[in-house]
Amino acid sequence: MCRSLTPHAPEPVSDAELIDRVLAGDPSAERALYDAHVDRVYRLVYRMAGDLDRAQDWVQETFIRAFQKLGEFRGESALSTWLCSIAMSVSLNGLRKVKRFRERELALDDAPPMGYTPREADPDLKSRLAQAIDDLPEGYRAVFVMHDVEGFTHEEIGQALGVQPGTSKAQLFRARAKLRQALADFVKD
Amino acid sequence: MSDDQLDPRLREAAQAYNAPPETPRDELWARIQAVRSGAPVEAAAPQQAAPRVLPFRPRRAWFAAAAAAAAVLAIGIGIGRVSVEPETARLRGPSANPTTYRLAAQEHLSQSETFLTLFRTSLEERNNQRLASASARQLLATNRLLLDSPAASDPKIRLLLEDLELVLAEIAQLSPRSRAEDLQLIRDGIERGNVMPRLRTAVPPGTAPIQGVL
Repeated sequence: MCRSLTPHAPEPVSDAELIDRVLAGDPSAERALYDAHVDRVYRLVYRMAGDLDRAQDWVQETFIRAFQKLGEFRGESALSTWLCSIAMSVSLNGLRKVKRFRERELALDDAPPMGYTPREADPDLKSRLAQAIDDLPEGYRAVFVMHDVEGFTHEEIGQALGVQPGTSKAQLFRARAKLRQALADFVKD
Repeated sequence: MSDDQLDPRLREAAQAYNAPPETPRDELWARIQAVRSGAPVEAAAPQQAAPRVLPFRPRRAWFAAAAAAAAVLAIGIGIGRVSVEPETARLRGPSANPTTYRLAAQEHLSQSETFLTLFRTSLEERNNQRLASASARQLLATNRLLLDSPAASDPKIRLLLEDLELVLAEIAQLSPRSRAEDLQLIRDGIERGNVMPRLRTAVPPGTAPIQGVL
């Protein structure tokens, strides 16, 4: 499950109770629901966005959509997983727009030479790894970030991305293989 | 290292990937509430951390956004004209095919959202201002066409296009000699007018399912 953080909560309130209160129009319940889940959503979205403005915009959109659609939540997954699925949908849609413009830009510019890696000379492992993760296909990157960076299980990833857990495992396997390949010189060292 | 595990050094290093700063809970909540109530949003607080921006050169993208928006509108108008019978078109004029205009408006709003997102993240690059200005002028032209089209018959879209026009007009006046205060005023204007969330709300989410990405 997408774990939630509820700091300073005097008594744990179940998601079902919070949802009922939100749907009944209780504003304090809206804030409580937000507080219970915003950290996890923000962490995930920020990892995907890599940019403060975009992350804040996407988290904002996530919760606006979530409150709009809360009446449609059927409890088939945990509320936190449902929120993460909206967050990933918003993030991936946003990233697709950025990617489309990148591709148009590349079509206008001279293509880089084969094997060109912008950070090739960068000796720093974290920087090289970050570049390699950025270079992963978006689906691989989503699964890698969710599983290896944010600690989601394959079941949670499957629910959030609308795929089978086995697909998530396969994507993670391929993502790791690509990263190992991209950072082979570091691994050998 | 086994085939299905990452090297421990890589696993550890991965934790630093796009490491998020502390959640700006109250600021985000205020923004969410403002959008939901339709009220203006306060200007964003100064950034707490310097994020690593994805490698993306926005200058050409601004041109691409504006050119694409103009092209879509032109195509939309063209389709609108050819898809209506001549007699009917003569009688009803441009209102004959509102769906085409609505789609053109959605594409324009989507392009504008992307343009403004890039503009906000590139405010520091002063030499981009001339390009931003040129792109804003193209989007402004499209915006004005849409305001005069059946797309603006929806009051919500009309209001959004009118607010967008103000922002685009301000950006269109930028030059390399513009002061930092001018940029900040534009940024504040975008935030106060709640333009970005309204743009996103007006544009339906992408049609491609998430599974398609995997």
